[in-house]
Amino acid sequence: MKHDISFSINGERVRLTVHSHQTLLEVIRSELELTGAKYGCSTGECGACSVLLDGEVVNSCMVLAPEVDGAEILTVEGLSGDEELHPLQKSFIDHHGVQCGYCAPGMLISAKALLSRTSRPHEEEIREALVGNLCRCGAYADIIKSIQVASRARR
Amino acid sequence: MITRKPHIIGKPFPLVEAQSKLTGVSCYAGDEPFGPDLLHARILFSKRAHARVRLRGVEQARRLEGVAAVLTGREVNARLGARIEDRTLLAVDEVTYAGQPLAVVAAESPEIAMAALATIQVDYDDLPAVFDVEAALAADAPLVHPDMTAYPGFDQVQAQPERNIAHRVLLQRGDVDAALADAAFVLERTYTAAPLQHAPMETHGGVAQQRERELMLWLHVQAPFLQRQVIARALHIPPQDLRIITQCVGGSFGSKVFVSVEALLAAIARETHGRPVRLHLTREEEFQAIFMTPAMRARVTMGLDDQGRIIAMRAVYDWNVGASVDAFILEMQRIALAGTGPYAIPNTDIQVNAIYTHLLPAAPMRSLSIAQMHWAIEQHVDELAEMAGMSPLLLRQRNLVKGGDQLFSNFIMHANGLESCVLETVRAIGWQPERDQDPSGPVVRGKGLAMGWSPIIVSPHCKSRVTIQCDGDELCSVIVDGVDVGQGYYAFITQLIAFELNLPIEWITVHPTDTGNHEPDWQAIYHNLLWSTGRALLQAVAEMKRQILSYVSEMWEEPMSNLDIVEGEVISYATRRRLSILTLLQEGAGEGEPPVFRATGVYEASEQDDRLENILQSYAATGYAAEVAVNLETGHLTVLQLAGAADVGHAINPEGVKAQLKGGIIQSISLTLLEEMQFENGVPISIDFMSYPIATTADMPQKLHPIVVEIPQSTGPYGARDLSNHVMVGASAAIGNAIYQATGVRIRDLPITAQRLYDALRADS
Ligand code: FES
Ligand code: FES
Repeated sequence: MKHDISFSINGERVRLTVHSHQTLLEVIRSELELTGAKYGCSTGECGACSVLLDGEVVNSCMVLAPEVDGAEILTVEGLSGDEELHPLQKSFIDHHGVQCGYCAPGMLISAKALLSRTSRPHEEEIREALVGNLCRCGAYADIIKSIQVASRARR
Repeated sequence: MITRKPHIIGKPFPLVEAQSKLTGVSCYAGDEPFGPDLLHARILFSKRAHARVRLRGVEQARRLEGVAAVLTGREVNARLGARIEDRTLLAVDEVTYAGQPLAVVAAESPEIAMAALATIQVDYDDLPAVFDVEAALAADAPLVHPDMTAYPGFDQVQAQPERNIAHRVLLQRGDVDAALADAAFVLERTYTAAPLQHAPMETHGGVAQQRERELMLWLHVQAPFLQRQVIARALHIPPQDLRIITQCVGGSFGSKVFVSVEALLAAIARETHGRPVRLHLTREEEFQAIFMTPAMRARVTMGLDDQGRIIAMRAVYDWNVGASVDAFILEMQRIALAGTGPYAIPNTDIQVNAIYTHLLPAAPMRSLSIAQMHWAIEQHVDELAEMAGMSPLLLRQRNLVKGGDQLFSNFIMHANGLESCVLETVRAIGWQPERDQDPSGPVVRGKGLAMGWSPIIVSPHCKSRVTIQCDGDELCSVIVDGVDVGQGYYAFITQLIAFELNLPIEWITVHPTDTGNHEPDWQAIYHNLLWSTGRALLQAVAEMKRQILSYVSEMWEEPMSNLDIVEGEVISYATRRRLSILTLLQEGAGEGEPPVFRATGVYEASEQDDRLENILQSYAATGYAAEVAVNLETGHLTVLQLAGAADVGHAINPEGVKAQLKGGIIQSISLTLLEEMQFENGVPISIDFMSYPIATTADMPQKLHPIVVEIPQSTGPYGARDLSNHVMVGASAAIGNAIYQATGVRIRDLPITAQRLYDALRADS
């Protein structure tokens, strides 16, 4: 079955016709050609595909496209302004929050959601917020540090 | 070689390519923008381990609406391999492992490609199979490769096909039996480690397109030159007609060095009349059809004299390499070279065996096999120390290999940080030989230490080349032949050029590696990149500097010795004249076109044969110490702190080194406590991150201590030595030794799952 939906992504409104079985991840990647949300498992286990759906972190591989009708979505592409990087992105660069980089967009999205809930999270809270984001390079310690530094700089 | 006070070298330096990765740029598998012309490939993999196979319905699949091409082993009957061709591109009549490709399809959409695969029916006629080393070595075991002697490259291995022995490396010295007979203490033990998966977050994939003569491949691999050679040979394409451009690599750890599905992508793209084809594996396919790391069984015997000196060691390391040893051959040489652990033992007998079974092909993972071997050696040393009533630290110190020790006839050990590594980690966690408290409650704590060494080798006939071009368009563009897989390779190159030429880092662009920039038979070194690229790079920058200065010296009619480059300007120390290099490149100086400078540096491994000690370049030293807490009632284990030290010679980018170390610590915890690739009748049943958990932030120790030790390597760039391939060596054993100190229970099999620990604690009480 097909559905006509409209939603906003990174501040832009889009209208699309989607199949009922299509996931949000597929729509973002193939229809909208945004590659920031990554494919890592399609079973909700890795967080590479994380996006913000009305401000909440979701695994976009687990969300069916028709469900996002009317919603607001943010992917990593929408994190930075036109010129400036988001403070989280800067901090990831400065503090080695990136190794191979494949997990980074998902990490940034989870971090962004965390910082909008708690402006100065403790290390424990950061660990907890990232538990659904796998990093095979094992960069967790530096990712946590990047987020911590960014949160301190932000105020 | 350290002649100037480094100003960028040795300072924090971020990853240069990080920015694009953080903004979602499209450079990984599945990202490539190729428009509506793009076709999608899917592969049919065998679901049985050993069987005769017959495919039906291939013609129907070809005729399906939207299917562009279908290939099976009938059409392309090719063998595959870098050294010995013991794999097939596509199975013909018989499969020897579950996950072996049977057919590949290209279609208008992934769904149509799936539908085409579903149309193909596979009739399996099961044959007897072996899945573990014991069964494979049994007298009447079914043979995995009975016709192995006919495979191209058979002369590269020491094999016994009739016993399923794929390859063997021996390293002996002295008289082990006599020394063991003299020893005051002799201990014999067996240790094992489970097979694992590399499991990079980016699954395998890429895009291929036939463009006139040229077959283009956009891949995410670590060794594009090796892949070009292997794919070209399998498909009978002249290597100059095959061009591989590497894109970002979303983690490799060794799984994207050797060819796996890339050859199938290349094969199917030759059938689609110039339309590009994309392949991107699902996570389940990645688990079921890409390499595993081989399981280890180590039988270790050591003899100690009454002075606490290890006088003899015998070790047999058996590796279950599944249906292919090809990717593991070089690794076996490293295993043999590290086979004694970092100890100077006068009588040794090291045997490294690769055993064929009907499981997935094996490939090494970072320093995993060396780490697994140290899982055995370093627990063994603790057991031996206890037997002799010695402190495990003292026993190690007494037997360590030292700088100046003659290890092989033509290899003398260099100055090294072995002892510093162990001492620093011991200090970091406050290790002591005795348990520091009585187990009164259900939770007990213990500390353990372990050391490690890992041979750095240079594969024979491989080279590294760097070309720098400075011109008005791109300022300084750099062509290299290595690939950044997240270890900071591009950052290192940028940092080194910026330092040596004294130019702003924004001027420097490192281009993704493109085999088209090099001769068809170019074989690039793909490990020890810091060392090999570093050497080539130093040559190239020296030549670049010479060219720029000589140009200006002619122009100014001043001797070159007056001139230097300082912060982007050529200056004369004699006349105080200055000229911005930017101006020189963009506008030229005086008449004529602006100049273009181009300089190349090459590092070549010695053209010797590949006997063990000829490929050995140096050893990387590591040390680990762990503190754990174990709940005696539940078997629940927590790693409280883990210290890891590595001797990197000279830390060119100290924070980068620490990042690698911390990553190695996390991976070590993951594979020590969580990971095990499981099979049922040879078919992987670890298929996702539920059935194959890897470490998350919840598994991090409370404290991580990354420790950088710097004993310069005289031949390395600025005294530096490679690290990223060696970071895990010793960690598992430190955890194992800590568990023993806490509980008195010795775990000799990896992984140490909660269940295994619980069972061991119960059996003990
Ligand atoms: S791809 Fe969505 S959680 Fe892994
Ligand atoms: S940086 Fe490689 S997966 Fe996280």
